[in-house]
Amino acid sequence: MSASRPRSDRSSSSRGFEIVLIAVYGIFAISATARSLVQMLRDFSFAPVAYGLSFLAAVTYIAVTVALVRWGRRSTIARVLCMIELAGVLIVGTLTLLDPALFPDATVWGHFGQDYGFVPLLLPVVALLYMLRGRAQGVQPGRTA
Amino acid sequence: MSVLSIVVAVLCGVTALLGLYYALRELNADLVLLGASALLAVAWFVLGSALALRDLAGGDPPDRITLYGYLLTALVLVVGGGWMGLFERSRWGSLVAGLGALVSAVLLMRLHQIWPGGFA
Repeated sequence: MSASRPRSDRSSSSRGFEIVLIAVYGIFAISATARSLVQMLRDFSFAPVAYGLSFLAAVTYIAVTVALVRWGRRSTIARVLCMIELAGVLIVGTLTLLDPALFPDATVWGHFGQDYGFVPLLLPVVALLYMLRGRAQGVQPGRTA
Repeated sequence: MSVLSIVVAVLCGVTALLGLYYALRELNADLVLLGASALLAVAWFVLGSALALRDLAGGDPPDRITLYGYLLTALVLVVGGGWMGLFERSRWGSLVAGLGALVSAVLLMRLHQIWPGGFA
């Protein structure tokens, strides 16, 4: 790799780590929406609770994505939505363990997001930690190497 | 088809590793990373077209909605990741470009499960 590559600039227009959160939330918004729509349109009555909860997860991911894009990580609404998301993952994950009969088919937050490599459980934790830290890593002066 | 699939998988790995390397070294996405992203997008497009042709020729995939949904999502992920790498001029933009490639690799694995006949 050549040494003449441009270093990261730290202009105020740069979102920093927030862009990673937006990207991951966007990916989950798309995949959860697609999954829940396909599930519900095929045969909603097969597993109404699971499909309904998939849809709820999809709506939450869309809401967080929009909140992060429009109002940024410091907004109250983004923080509240992430807390709702975390609560949802924990409640639905526990529910799938306690009452498997309620879920003939898998749901996005089932078993704490096992189908997605437990990223749904990690994501709100990482997001909340990042939001509460106040200042972003991307704003700090970078090391010179 | 399996050759195409291997090409896509290798490009996914290269782009994902490049994105991670750039993020660790605090580098903006440059023509190397964006070029890898673009190559991967082209490879995905060719693979998708080849699968669609096989479908048209009577390949009969078991689940068309999921098949084309995944193909479209993979393309959107790679192009969108490159796009963010282009406009977010920081290490994190580079990381997103790599992440898009990484998730598209997962979609490739799922595609093999959805329609094994398409890759035979």
